[in-house]
Amino acid sequence: MKLKHAVAGMMTAAAAAVLTGCNPDATDPAKEANLVYPNWAEGVAYTHLAKVVLEDKMGYEVEITAADVAPGYTAVAQGSQDAFMECWPALHKDYLDRYSDDLKSLGNVYEGTEVGLAVPAYVTIDTIAELQANAAKFDGKITGVDAGAGMMKTIENELFPAYGLTDIKLLASSGPAMTAALADAVKNEEWIVVTAWRPHWMFGRWDLKFLKQDADKPIWESGNLEIVGRADLEADKPELAQFLKNFFVTDAQISDLMVKIKDSDDDTLTAARQWMLENESTVEKWIPTAN
Amino acid sequence: MNIPKIPVGQLFEHLINWLTDHAELFFDAVSGTVTAMLSGLEFVLLLPHPLLMIVFMSALAWWLASRNIALFSVLGLYLIYNMGYWTETMETLSLVLAAVLISLALGIPLGIWAAKKDLAERIIRPVLDVMQTLPAFVYLIPAVLFFKLGPVPGVIATMIFSLPPVVRLTNLGIRQVPEEIHEAAISFGSNPRQLLFKAELPVALPSIMAGVNQTIMLALSMVVISGMIGAGGLGNEVLKGITQLKIDLGFEAGISIVILAIYLDRVTQHLGQK
Repeated sequence: MKLKHAVAGMMTAAAAAVLTGCNPDATDPAKEANLVYPNWAEGVAYTHLAKVVLEDKMGYEVEITAADVAPGYTAVAQGSQDAFMECWPALHKDYLDRYSDDLKSLGNVYEGTEVGLAVPAYVTIDTIAELQANAAKFDGKITGVDAGAGMMKTIENELFPAYGLTDIKLLASSGPAMTAALADAVKNEEWIVVTAWRPHWMFGRWDLKFLKQDADKPIWESGNLEIVGRADLEADKPELAQFLKNFFVTDAQISDLMVKIKDSDDDTLTAARQWMLENESTVEKWIPTAN
Repeated sequence: MNIPKIPVGQLFEHLINWLTDHAELFFDAVSGTVTAMLSGLEFVLLLPHPLLMIVFMSALAWWLASRNIALFSVLGLYLIYNMGYWTETMETLSLVLAAVLISLALGIPLGIWAAKKDLAERIIRPVLDVMQTLPAFVYLIPAVLFFKLGPVPGVIATMIFSLPPVVRLTNLGIRQVPEEIHEAAISFGSNPRQLLFKAELPVALPSIMAGVNQTIMLALSMVVISGMIGAGGLGNEVLKGITQLKIDLGFEAGISIVILAIYLDRVTQHLGQK
């Protein structure tokens, strides 16, 4: 019988909590930030860093939300989120075109991205031009990512005709499936060619190389990672917009941060806070000065 | 012969755009209600210390189901706590509970209505078919357009997916109430209300509870998909694990979902038999 009372008690508490909705925060809306990031290692790392800097140094209340790319862009374009933290202009062209009126770039957060086809270092070819002749060794397939991804379209519509690749097919899978296939191939020292981009943790885990493009048939260029805000962010929250514009990590910094997060026993936020404390001079440069 | 393509996709797109423009107040109201439910549930579930909560949940399992299930609860839930996924598990549990509560609040009356009126059944049935079979990925973007990112669209998407079984099984349960019980109840002078609450619903209860159980299990299977629209909880941990090929993380979070599923399944399975 006591148990029944306990249950009844819990139910009443639940009902009370449900009714009041318990929403005690009443902060200045200009000091709130809602950031969306995709679940990729580098974006996870620096988005958590942005959260701790905004909260500890600038007094913000920051909500970070992990979401898939398409819903992420949709939410920012709609204005319910402030910024999408990891925009790959080349890969996300479809979304950027579709929402061109509702999104505004807040500048680079990382420079020097690479996109292309990658093979393990033990594979003896070095260029995309050699693929056609060696198609059989790759089992006639390029292991790709999601069917809708921008780079998948580029490969079929631009790379295949430019390099006359007829003996090799592009296999759509997903990011996780591609890296799993790569892990398996590397373990057995088999030949594999995958769609790849850097920064990506796979380059840290395995010895990989990008296949070189022919000088006269360039398909991909080196690019940057951007933060993309909703169109009216600068008018609404100028300080936040300025911070995101200033926010920038070098390759060495992001690698260091990712290693810290990976090796830490604490959660991602604590590791990011640790990194912030060790890199005060870098962090200070991101914070907009009032004037 | 050049038959024009029937613009099915465009029709849906127009409908969605029209709804985002014109039904904002309605969606905001729904969103507010669901947010309040979720934060309330989360608050209550995370209020006691995890160990206390484990004791409570296991006691509940013993009371409602059996000693073995209570034993499983202690071990399973402690494993979740030990692996460090307690907060995420409770977030997921509140998401599932919110979706299930809404499903039941809508589904049981719908099921009763479908059992009473053949026309209602003829309309409801194809709608349920669509809800259950349209791939969940398809309505992720509409869910985001209507309800923004976060647990709210997660609850809505989960609810759409998990509502059908409780409607179907409530309908079925009431339709299968033996004619003799009907006649007896009516000959004792029951009005339609008494007939429903005193005769039909009690007899149909095992079937309805089977529907509730199925609803809960389907809700849990949506957890990972709703992680893609920022619902957080265990779904997010699983996605993090698989996008970064962290097999350990994926499995730990996945096993936490399994433990939660078994717990909810066994406990609710015994509810109808009591």
